[in-house]
Amino acid sequence: MAQVVFSTWGGSVVDNRNISGEPAAVSFRLPVAFDGQQPLKAFMGWDGIIVFDKAVDIPAMAAEYMLRVQTQFCCGKCTPGKKGTKVLSDLLQRVLRGEAKPSDLDQVADLNALLQNCKCTLCPTSTKPVLDAVKHFLSDFEAYCTGGRTAKSDKYLEKVTAPCMDRCPAHIDIPKYIEQIKNYQYTEALATIRENMPLAAVCGRVCPHPCEAACRRKNVDDSVNIMVLKRTASDYEWMHKIEPPVNNAKMKDKTVAIVGAGPAGLAAGYYLALQGYRSTIYEALPEGFGGGMVAVGIPAYRMPRHILQRDIDIIQSMGVDIVYDCRVGKDISLPELKQKHAAVFLAPGAHRSKPMGVEGEDKGYKGFLPGGIDFLREAYMGRPTGMGKKVCVVGGGNTAIDCVRVALREGAEESVLLYRRSRKEMPADVWEVDGADEEGVKFEFQVLPTKIIVDQNEQVTGVECVRMAMGEPDASGRRRPEPVAGSEFIVECDTVIPAIGQDADLSFIPPDMGIDISKWNTVITKYIPLKDAAGKSLNDSMGNPLSRTLITDCDGVFAGGDAEIGPLTVVACVGNAHRAANVIARYLDEGKAYLTDQEIFEDLLTYLGVYDKNESVAWLDSADRAGQKEVHGKARASKGNYCEVELGFSDSTAQSEADRCLRCYRMAMVAL
Amino acid sequence: MAHSETSNKNKTITLTIDGKEVQVLTGTTILEAAKKLGINIPTLCYLEKISTTGACRVCAVNVEGVARPMTACNTPVKEGIKVTTRSPELEQIRKKTMELMLVNHPLDCPVCDAGGECDLQDTCYSLGVAKQEYSADLERLPIRYDWSLLESDPNRCILCEKCVKVCREITGFGAIETKYCGDRAIIDTLTGKPLDCDFCGNCIAACPTGTLISKPFKYMGRPWTFEVKNGICGFCSSGCQIEYHLKDGKVARVTSDDSTYNNGNLCINGRFGYSAFNSPERLMVPQVRSVDGVLKEASWDAALSAVVSATNGITAKYGAKAVAGVASPRITNEENYLFSKLIKEAIGSPNIDSEARLGYVQAQEIQAKMIGMTGATKQMDALEDAGCIIVVGSDLKTESAGFAYRVIKAVTKRDAKLVIASAQPTSIDKFANSALRYKPGSEGFVAVGLAKAAISQNKAVTAAGLDGFNQALAAVSFDQIQVATGLTESAFNDAVSFINGQVAVIYGYEFIRSADAVAAVTGALNLAILTDADIYPMDEKNNTQGMLDMGAVPGDGGKDLFGIIDGIEKGDIRCLYVAGCDLLQIMPNRSRVAAALQKLECLVVLDLFPTATAKMANILLPAAAAPEKAGSFTTTDNRTQKFTAAANPPGESRPDYVIMGDLYARITGGAIPSLTAIQQEVTPVVKNRVEKAALTFVIPQAHAAGTMTLLVAPLQRHNGTYTSWSSNNLKVSAEATICIGAVDASKMGMSDGDKVTVTANGASITLPVTLQRELPSGLVVLPNHFPASSASQLMAKASASLTVTISKA
Repeated sequence: MAQVVFSTWGGSVVDNRNISGEPAAVSFRLPVAFDGQQPLKAFMGWDGIIVFDKAVDIPAMAAEYMLRVQTQFCCGKCTPGKKGTKVLSDLLQRVLRGEAKPSDLDQVADLNALLQNCKCTLCPTSTKPVLDAVKHFLSDFEAYCTGGRTAKSDKYLEKVTAPCMDRCPAHIDIPKYIEQIKNYQYTEALATIRENMPLAAVCGRVCPHPCEAACRRKNVDDSVNIMVLKRTASDYEWMHKIEPPVNNAKMKDKTVAIVGAGPAGLAAGYYLALQGYRSTIYEALPEGFGGGMVAVGIPAYRMPRHILQRDIDIIQSMGVDIVYDCRVGKDISLPELKQKHAAVFLAPGAHRSKPMGVEGEDKGYKGFLPGGIDFLREAYMGRPTGMGKKVCVVGGGNTAIDCVRVALREGAEESVLLYRRSRKEMPADVWEVDGADEEGVKFEFQVLPTKIIVDQNEQVTGVECVRMAMGEPDASGRRRPEPVAGSEFIVECDTVIPAIGQDADLSFIPPDMGIDISKWNTVITKYIPLKDAAGKSLNDSMGNPLSRTLITDCDGVFAGGDAEIGPLTVVACVGNAHRAANVIARYLDEGKAYLTDQEIFEDLLTYLGVYDKNESVAWLDSADRAGQKEVHGKARASKGNYCEVELGFSDSTAQSEADRCLRCYRMAMVAL
Repeated sequence: MAHSETSNKNKTITLTIDGKEVQVLTGTTILEAAKKLGINIPTLCYLEKISTTGACRVCAVNVEGVARPMTACNTPVKEGIKVTTRSPELEQIRKKTMELMLVNHPLDCPVCDAGGECDLQDTCYSLGVAKQEYSADLERLPIRYDWSLLESDPNRCILCEKCVKVCREITGFGAIETKYCGDRAIIDTLTGKPLDCDFCGNCIAACPTGTLISKPFKYMGRPWTFEVKNGICGFCSSGCQIEYHLKDGKVARVTSDDSTYNNGNLCINGRFGYSAFNSPERLMVPQVRSVDGVLKEASWDAALSAVVSATNGITAKYGAKAVAGVASPRITNEENYLFSKLIKEAIGSPNIDSEARLGYVQAQEIQAKMIGMTGATKQMDALEDAGCIIVVGSDLKTESAGFAYRVIKAVTKRDAKLVIASAQPTSIDKFANSALRYKPGSEGFVAVGLAKAAISQNKAVTAAGLDGFNQALAAVSFDQIQVATGLTESAFNDAVSFINGQVAVIYGYEFIRSADAVAAVTGALNLAILTDADIYPMDEKNNTQGMLDMGAVPGDGGKDLFGIIDGIEKGDIRCLYVAGCDLLQIMPNRSRVAAALQKLECLVVLDLFPTATAKMANILLPAAAAPEKAGSFTTTDNRTQKFTAAANPPGESRPDYVIMGDLYARITGGAIPSLTAIQQEVTPVVKNRVEKAALTFVIPQAHAAGTMTLLVAPLQRHNGTYTSWSSNNLKVSAEATICIGAVDASKMGMSDGDKVTVTANGASITLPVTLQRELPSGLVVLPNHFPASSASQLMAKASASLTVTISKA
């Protein structure tokens, strides 16, 4: 078991360097080996230093850390940052060369204090590990000063991150594009976004923006409106008729097949094209309905179609072909794809509605619809949905909310949502629930549908429900909703739409291809065997192995998106598919599917955690978060009205909102 | 997480700074609030007219309850906060920050151009930064000597980003950016290649140190040794308020203060065009053509006597109407008034006109008829409050950069929408929500298309005569419009979709000088009436509007500019006075005009330079330039601004009003009128827009266009023919070239610098080409600034566009 030799991480000092008894037990969310093989000897970052290997030359590492900050990442755009890190870096280099006096080290604390007045966070945080090093490893520094030592060089890797860009599954360089918007550089901001997010218009509108939950401005007052700023950059382009960028990559001969034109498929195609690989996306739906779950799962009042289509058109223009009306497994087989192309990327999404487990749901009753996602798709495609006048939707996620709101727009006289827990426990985004409320949706919280009621013609006439109450805490201490005996009642309706979740339909994958499928109906891909000090495998928040190469057990076949992660978000699919595209390109270039050090480092930082909700951020809370303009009133959900409800920022609002960003860059470095 | 609309920005906030209470609006910064209290907080990177940067960190202040100093320049105020701007701790931070700033700062202050006007020096001095605790390895960065007009020494740079932001936010160019990391971070061009921009030099003005300096000014003298006098820029019609820095009575540089109407923003002409005044080619001495046909130097008395005796001889023999005058948009209101009086009253001829006859006069006549007034209906600062700005037929930066800067501010900082319709790409297209590119000559149809779309898309108000107008519009279909303009109905619908709030319609050169100018200008005004818009006509020259306001137009029965040429040809006019106008350069049918001038018995020319017209003069009188005289100019937006003389006229040259006054006295036998007397005599022009202007329909005319159209137009980096005498401007735009689009160039197998021959109306000119990627196919553009280009010989009419053939030379 790897032993922490020394640490200042997390606000407390652990020093096991010279102890006789039992070392202080401390563990960090870091693997013992960086890539499953190379031992992680030491870690330096914004919060201090962690040393696992006594042999690490801390003065040399600190000097290298400062040198990289100054020469590679410091933007130079404020005096203390530009000059202070230069003075500090040169000082540490002089120490290593034996040209400094021990008293010169006094300046480290002085500079640290001065650097706290920097414009952003990169340089001030960079002095923390250096200051800790000088403070706790002073004799090592002094040994250099007196000429008694020569530097021992370890292998160092560094990575710059920020809480928001770390938390964003696509790792968009958020501080950078926000700064560009602050500087009126909308086109440049969009280019920054596109480095990691080709569906900028989409994720500027419908992203659950996990980044905002990790925004350090939240520790001052409220998070920066990161999502709407993304929308601003994206909308600026088409609102000014600016030609989107063209792909200047030299195209290579090998091609890639992609299953599904959803966020993952599109993103993979985009990033493969930028690396010179043409791809063909095979999409089951007809032309005009590309976009996967974004198209068929997110209604047009949230994601206007012409804007989605514009993003798709841009992706195609990069060198991506889309074959519509072609269901893999039916119109063309997976082995055929594998034969036609040098690699295959599976991104079919999760479009199969899960059953509710309610009596009567499998009887084929008139008015009992197959599922929320199917309802949204049919409505979007302008086909009969089978919906009547009084609609009950069962579920509490965003799809359920979309269903009740679409039902109104499809002409329902009454649209009711049934959910078994309370309003504040709904997994749906709060603003979506509020939006439904404003449009006149009725809610029945803490009810469980138990039976579908039909008339003699097997036409649905209602749903029998039972009221739920919180039961006693179970073994895990969690209280679960339990039916209240005798509370049965009937909600009258002519349509029931179950919207309790989706999973992937992977029936198109022949069992003999060697592609493993999990019990959650996701495609299993290979991963880096990262383990913590206790020998436990490192997993991500979805329970999947932390760092995956996204290649399946079948050579040349890769998988991503909802069908690989499990049903999640557009942004997660894009991030995952971008990673896949990089790995596929390497596979096609070199015959090996592997992750780069930067990719692994990215995953490690996410696992370690970059945002600290308890951090006290000193800043004046004098600029309120700006919200976007919105159409209000029930008329916005009148029959056939799919006009966009949220209207984005004016440019001047965006500019001042961007000015709220604290630009929380920070650098981590490991010694291997 | 609330998805709600933005909060009210008009709320008043009370805060305390250094114990004093102050009330300001939400969004005000601590720095601005302190300023209101008269509390001075040191700054280096702060510049009011650009977005805040927070780079220097010198303005650090303490806010009670916030555990770190906040920068006053970019921190908005909050209700009830208590701010401390002075404390030992803050002084320490500021001093140490300055010490850091000075680490490796070059010690070349003795030879630095900014010495004496350096914000870095001043701030160090006022903060008492007398020691240096910090040091770092010295790495010198290369100085950019290879830029034109500007020099950049990154070693002196404190990276305040003012230059970057002024370039991006004010001028809308974005030529420079912060590049590289850490201590090696510098300001450089985006490409790293030598600077290739508007060369407005606003970055030089913004630079707090000697990093960005003016090359022509380098080593001209220490800043404090110059005499500084206020003036009004004499180039375009933005009327910028400037400062002439004078040495030995000559202009050594031009600057402008941020507190001026133009916020200190200038263009290349304003900042660098002064070298025209110092041109060695300036006319210094009066000249009279001798019997052997050669211009010979003469005394003022001899020259003026020659003018008077020739004039008197001709009027005695042929009557006063045998004399004509051409006034100038370059000279002052007083001079135009006096010139008009000289021709009309002293000599007694109604034949006076000007180069404005090529378009601007007719446009103003139409305006006067339709809306009751000439010039703009509001001052240019009202553009900042527009909801939608529609610019038709003008590259604003080229015609009048001050207007361009206002528009850029309105659209980037105040959420105005921008619609541009023009034949050639314009310098502010990148800010446009809709940029319609029409075929030159179809301007009348463009205006009809916009009007039709505005009405059909419910963007029009109920204007007087709307029903009849509508019926007339119906006669022109979108199909016809598309044939003429190349623009579809949906393009027009899209353009008008941006109409909102207060609309401003700006119409310029391409409309005013259109082959279908009456329909074009009437159409632009109809669009303005339909959208209840403010109206702004554009003109490239500084005092075109003032000249007209002073009555420099034909009197009763008088001949206009074309009539004057006809009159000379017919022998009706024998004597012509030309004040500051190169007729051969600006009038169509150059050879015909030359022949006419040749025929004159007496040609009197008042000018600064030996122009082609001046060289034909019988009597050539050297005049003073704008900085060398007193008077007033009136911009196209009807701002009349007075100024006094700053520089000395070179040699024996005299202000036009002195020359004209002398002639007036000699011809009338009266006294020489003083400038004050003239100013008292001029009655101020009062203009009022009629309340219910009526729509007037003019059927646009189809113009048979050939496969190639030449547009003769103003281009950036010059103003009129004036700056073709300015060595500074010539450094960045040396000669006339034919601008050709990428498609046509590749079709003709041409690359930059290749020579082409352009033929029209039986004349040809051969010039090198410049590739201008965005120029539409079928269009080539020739700048109208350079005398050598002789564009006027290709032109048969005043219209700016003409059908030509073009071939590789």
